[in-house]
Amino acid sequence: MDKQKLIASLNEIVGPDNVLSSEMDLMLYSYDASLDKAKPDVVVLPDSTEEVSKIMALAYKEKIPILGRGSGTNLTGGTVPIKGGIVVHFSRMNRILEIDYANRTATVQPGVITLDLQTEVLKKGFVYQPDPASQKVSTIGGNVSENSGGPHCLKYGVTSNHVQGLEVVLNDGTVINTGGKARDNAGYDITALVVGSEGTVGLVTKAILKLERAPESVKTLLAIFDAIEDGANTVSAIVAEGIIPATLEMMDNTVMRAVEETIKVGYPLDAACVLIIELDGMPEGMDDNASKIVEICRQNHVRDVRLAKDEAERNVLWAGRKGAFGSVGQVRPSYLCCDGTVPRTKLPEVLNQVIEIGKKYNLPIGNVFHAGDGNLHPLIMFDERDEDERSRVLKASTEILKACADAGGTISGEHGVGMEKLKETAFIFNECDLEFERQIKRAFDPDDIINPGKMIPANS
Amino acid sequence: MVDDTEKFKNLSETLGEAHVKTEPKITAQYTVDNVVPRAVVFPKNTDQISEVVKFANRENLAIVTRGSGTKMAMGNPPRKLDLVVCTSRMNHMLDVDTSNLTMTVEAGVKFRDIQARLATQEDRCYLPLGDLEAEGDEIICSDRSHSGCFVPIDPPYADKATIGGIIATNSTGPRRLLYNLPRDCIIGIRVVAPNGDVLGSGGKTVKNVSGYDVSKLMVGSMGTLGILCETTLRMLPLPEKMETLLVSFANFSDASAFAGRIFETSLLPAAVEIMNGEAFGHLSLDDKPDFGSNGYVAAIALEAFEPAVDRMRIEMLNMAKEAGAGANAVFEEEDHRSFWLAMSNLSATLDKKFSGFIKAKLNYPLSMWKNIIASGESIFSEANLDYIVQAHAGNGICFTGLLVDNNDTSATDKAVEAMNQLLAYCQEVDGNLVIQSAPADVKSNLRIWGKIGFDFVVMKRLKDQLDPKGIMSPGRFVEGL
Ligand SMILES: Cc1cc2nc3c(=O)[nH]c(=O)nc-3n(C[C@H](O)[C@H](O)[C@H](O)COP(=O)(O)OP(=O)(O)OC[C@H]3O[C@@H](n4cnc5c(N)ncnc54)[C@H](O)[C@@H]3O)c2cc1C
Repeated sequence: MDKQKLIASLNEIVGPDNVLSSEMDLMLYSYDASLDKAKPDVVVLPDSTEEVSKIMALAYKEKIPILGRGSGTNLTGGTVPIKGGIVVHFSRMNRILEIDYANRTATVQPGVITLDLQTEVLKKGFVYQPDPASQKVSTIGGNVSENSGGPHCLKYGVTSNHVQGLEVVLNDGTVINTGGKARDNAGYDITALVVGSEGTVGLVTKAILKLERAPESVKTLLAIFDAIEDGANTVSAIVAEGIIPATLEMMDNTVMRAVEETIKVGYPLDAACVLIIELDGMPEGMDDNASKIVEICRQNHVRDVRLAKDEAERNVLWAGRKGAFGSVGQVRPSYLCCDGTVPRTKLPEVLNQVIEIGKKYNLPIGNVFHAGDGNLHPLIMFDERDEDERSRVLKASTEILKACADAGGTISGEHGVGMEKLKETAFIFNECDLEFERQIKRAFDPDDIINPGKMIPANS
Repeated sequence: MVDDTEKFKNLSETLGEAHVKTEPKITAQYTVDNVVPRAVVFPKNTDQISEVVKFANRENLAIVTRGSGTKMAMGNPPRKLDLVVCTSRMNHMLDVDTSNLTMTVEAGVKFRDIQARLATQEDRCYLPLGDLEAEGDEIICSDRSHSGCFVPIDPPYADKATIGGIIATNSTGPRRLLYNLPRDCIIGIRVVAPNGDVLGSGGKTVKNVSGYDVSKLMVGSMGTLGILCETTLRMLPLPEKMETLLVSFANFSDASAFAGRIFETSLLPAAVEIMNGEAFGHLSLDDKPDFGSNGYVAAIALEAFEPAVDRMRIEMLNMAKEAGAGANAVFEEEDHRSFWLAMSNLSATLDKKFSGFIKAKLNYPLSMWKNIIASGESIFSEANLDYIVQAHAGNGICFTGLLVDNNDTSATDKAVEAMNQLLAYCQEVDGNLVIQSAPADVKSNLRIWGKIGFDFVVMKRLKDQLDPKGIMSPGRFVEGL
């Protein structure tokens, strides 16, 4: 379809104010938080499921590539329109449609900012658990599509464990509902398939999310170590002891320094790493568990363990953790975050390998990650304009993911494959695995128009 | 009748003659809703399953997979049935990684053997070890890990079901309140696809977003998308203390008020099970308190740190009193475990007692539970039927069973009519009713899977794409998929 005609048709669906096609606009929608770039032909901002359905039907009829976009904070090129076409930006569909405390659900449009929902329900003493560090900006649609995790996912599970139902616009514009307020719906668990599908099976226009009562009490500890290895050993020792804290996060010296430059948390800058350990739930038994954790830290040569005295101190500790990615920009202009994940017991070993890989390629690597889940996030810092550096970064990242896969882990714990890690899928999947995934994709999108070129490598 | 020996010769060569059975005497024991398979096969590993499925593809044979056979009464009668594939020889625990809190097992491993293997040195186990009789020369948990962990699923038939069957049917129980569902604890699988390919998804990491979540797609798919061969599950450390509170109430209204009070607090019970006196009466349990048979019983599972259990007991017994409770009883540790095992075997017990037993699972938005149960009670008592009600309060799930004799045609007719009425009511409140078991001859009058949502279009597309020949459990799943 000719571009002017396409724009005219879209104008008819959403009104000309909600169709963007200037060079400047297209440029703004050509990138996300990954390193890839490609411009769409047009951007459209729908306001309802009905409009999304019409847009999809148009794309289907004309075989135009189409993808959904929340806040564009994904780290793997999920919103980069490599084949051009239509970008559907969900910023206007940002309403919390219903909070149903009696049924413990919230029904929201995909453009709702994660933290906005969380702040709202907390007023009534409820939580929506998944808390990606990007929660201030990221959208529920993005969280659902990437199956995002976050610090509290150690105990509570990732987004997938908290989505009860979805409204999805299929390739031909058909609107379906999966799951619902009632749990255990008969049939295949389509909700589970859409969550984490990286926007490749349809456009999500509504989500029914599970709410839980906020824990009665919370205890937050900061454990300071003089060697990374001691911190890593502590993490696996805590889990091996059978303790599953709500969070178990690690931050190394490089990242702490960057954070202190911007946020001033009071992290010990001469330490090798810190762990942020949080326990929550009923207060009974919590002190015992905290003592056990302190004891494990001691056995692993901890320098000091501090307990957050109050909510304010706790918030400061978390502000540092949640602002860490942003702060890293202080060190070098760009970073690449590897999302490799390993069985928790392999953490010490793989962290060492990461450090070695950094040395080998002469690149600064900071570590700030969901240690309790075995979910590493080595941040390789560099300057994107330096071609040589950039190519070393890509090599280092591939090597890190290989190390994770070889340790019995995987190439992505929460950021997805996107277009960034297509090649690396070979580390964990064989041709049969991939073919099964292609079949699933074909069931939803036989023409390959929905976020094409993502997640599954093309048939070789 | 055709003699199939020749036809299955090929398979015998692959699996060994002893593991391919075509004798009518044997096949008759493996019927699915009275349909007799032409052969029953017992592969010993994933590669053999792959061979079987490839063979079925070539010969166009329809396959139904079977674990211990506890839930074969689920689903529609098969449209076609040639091969029953039994997973009983696939009973190896491949990896028990207690420091990582994950384990990988073959599909035919029994749930109880998993739990037994994880028991502590002192034999503290999630299931009551003493109640688990060894079957034949089978040893429960040959190779103890002494980890003091458990796999946090609470399925019916906990002492018989295989892990493959539990996952394929998405079996859950009262304690899902605290521990969630099989879908939440499965992190990896190996499956033989309908074309015979062996494929894997997920692995030993607790987080994984590399590709579609095929593991979760398989949960509850009733063997229609492939044969589950191996699975990796998360484990949890055994709770420090386990205790059951049993409280009797004169009627449902008081019992539900009690449950409602619990959910207004931030206490964390593992289960709040509300059942009628009839259900409680049929529990097969030594030393059962006598609560009479007219009222309702609340069974609360407390599984937590000792001081937390103590606090919950005290506060909940107070709440119960305020809600007008009658007698109560407290079961600790092994008695607690025996109690919940008996709960998980309630339908097995009733199945034996009532030849026409019809069991259904109802799901609905949490807040509708009182209306649902009231409506069930009134439909059943109007039809003059004996029934059990067993609600997983706080989960939006309720099981109900009609205690009928299959020879009593008038009662059976009324039972069918009552289930259909209750289904209609569930639908009205955005819920559903799925038949879990019913005599084969009654099934055709029931809507086995109840109401299916708009997402059926996608289910159909997936099934057509992944199993184009329709050889995996044809006809048994929703809308005859
Ligand atoms: C500083 C920083 C910290 C981060 N921390 C975490 C973390 O702790 N945990 C974590 O998991 N991730 C983290 N991320 C990654 C990212 O924030 C998450 O992936 C997030 O869920 C993306 O949300 P978004 O709204 O920005 O989605 P986008 O980036 O806009 O989109 C993500 C994907 O979802 C698809 N999509 C979006 N909306 C829809 C829709 N309505 N229908 C269909 N498809 C849709 C897109 O096509 C794309 O494939 C972090 C990123 C940054 C920059």
